[in-house]
Amino acid sequence: MESIVIIGNGAAGLAAIKSFRKYDPKTPITVISKEGGAAYSRVLLPYVLRGKLTYDKLFIPYAEKFKELGVEYIESEVLSLDDKNNFISLSDGRQLTYDKLLIASGSHALLPPVEGIDQPGVHNMWTRKDLDALTEEFKTKKEAIVVGSGFVSLQAAWAARSHGIRVSIVEIADRIMPLVLDIRGSTIMTEQMAKLGVDVHTSAVTERVEKAPDGRFSLVLKDKDTIPADFIIVGAGVRANIEFLKDSGVVFNRTVPVDDHMRTNVADIYAAGDAAAGPSAFGDEHVTHALWPTAVEMGTIAGANMAGEDTSYSGSLNMNVTEMFGVTVASMGKFNDSDIDNYYVYGDETGKGYCKLCYKNDLIVGICLIGTPETVGMMGKIRPIIRRRLAVDCPPAKLDAFLSLRFFER
Amino acid sequence: MKVITIDPTKCVGCRNCELACAFINSKTTCERKASMIRVNHYIDEHAVIPMTCLHCDDPWCMAVCPAGAIVRDPDTNAVVIDQDKCAGCKMCMLACPYGNIHFDEERHVSTKCTLCGGRPRCVGHCISGALNFEEVEEYAAKTRSKVDEQMSRRMRMKCRPTGVSDND
Repeated sequence: MESIVIIGNGAAGLAAIKSFRKYDPKTPITVISKEGGAAYSRVLLPYVLRGKLTYDKLFIPYAEKFKELGVEYIESEVLSLDDKNNFISLSDGRQLTYDKLLIASGSHALLPPVEGIDQPGVHNMWTRKDLDALTEEFKTKKEAIVVGSGFVSLQAAWAARSHGIRVSIVEIADRIMPLVLDIRGSTIMTEQMAKLGVDVHTSAVTERVEKAPDGRFSLVLKDKDTIPADFIIVGAGVRANIEFLKDSGVVFNRTVPVDDHMRTNVADIYAAGDAAAGPSAFGDEHVTHALWPTAVEMGTIAGANMAGEDTSYSGSLNMNVTEMFGVTVASMGKFNDSDIDNYYVYGDETGKGYCKLCYKNDLIVGICLIGTPETVGMMGKIRPIIRRRLAVDCPPAKLDAFLSLRFFER
Repeated sequence: MKVITIDPTKCVGCRNCELACAFINSKTTCERKASMIRVNHYIDEHAVIPMTCLHCDDPWCMAVCPAGAIVRDPDTNAVVIDQDKCAGCKMCMLACPYGNIHFDEERHVSTKCTLCGGRPRCVGHCISGALNFEEVEEYAAKTRSKVDEQMSRRMRMKCRPTGVSDND
């Protein structure tokens, strides 16, 4: 092979390089990064914003070593792909041919189609530039609105609150974190946030964003009072960076569907991470989990297969964890009432906090937690059980013991 | 390179290992929560199981860490967390299938066994021989000879006529 091209320098791209190099130390790799700069993880942005990590810790150390391993970096945008003739066209005018191509271009944060939302003072929290802009705002501003209540939004809200900024959350759904917590979890989280002085507005539809000459914002809600703020953070979903596939032969929807080998419909073209939709641990064929661990797994599989291996992905299991508002919030798999048929909530005496183990058809399918950090360790032990859809014949209260005893069984 | 090997059948649940680990890591306390090795008592099942990081060849924790904070110590082959780089995101805790990563709530970072730089204190303080620090091949050889012994004893039992005692 002459050359491998990877579009994107995020989780999937980095994992692919590591994995590819395990099997093929020679073939030159070229990485195209639109965002540019040293590789970093978006996961760490809230921790830097909050002040837990210094700015220099944002960057991933092992990525710097890749340059010595035959990896070349180009800071440019991919404008189009000619899959018949195996080359991509870049915004800097160049064309790059490839023997194998990995689409790991990730996603970008959206601004919802609301009048007045696209103006200075309204931020996403997705890129390093967003981090820099918000760090500036945090220095002088006193009041913020966070639109959206997913993991990213609430971490941004917590960062603001930790700086003494007054925060209001605006969420369209009837409860916060609708995709990552169950109903009871949302209630607990809302109470916890209220204790720390955060106002939560649910079933709140933003009609428009107005900005006064002095820079003060007014968020106008449908059938509710207008909320004032000095700046606004929007966490309302992401969209894959795959516009360049427009006139190519690669099949795509919101993301690029791939099989369990990360292959697209075109030979020698792979996709991984936020830009792709691959198998899930629950047997779905094409699902996009815009999560760091999923991107790492998919990139690892893609890299190995691009090097000539034949590895297959067992499927992505959605998992999220963070600490905010004084509690550890984590979830994995399926945990909403509509997706499960049985559940078990650990008692207060176990000291776990709110920890709900979820079943469907007698198999453990998920967990959600608002509680103590140590319980996350137990979730890690249960992860393979969910992943492999193993039946566990023991009462939920004894699950931890059951798993520990199995480790050493002969 | 040497690893800590665990034989739970020998563990008496004294928790010396936890005390030693907690003390060497914190320098101030022997409290269980400061220990990386954990001995779990399962009373109903009549079992005590010590468990500590296995320093896997292909560690899940290292692969998932978004900060690149988990690295391999070149001297001991141990998998270690660089606490300066750790953000405390806990993805490693979700990734470890053995539950071997713990959390320091004061410093807000993940913590794990470091093999004490090559002289694991838990092994040094184990009173029953449940914990050893040995090459994996040595451990496998011991296990193998135990299995050989068991198999040959079972076979002899099957060959003897009933009523004759089995004393070896």
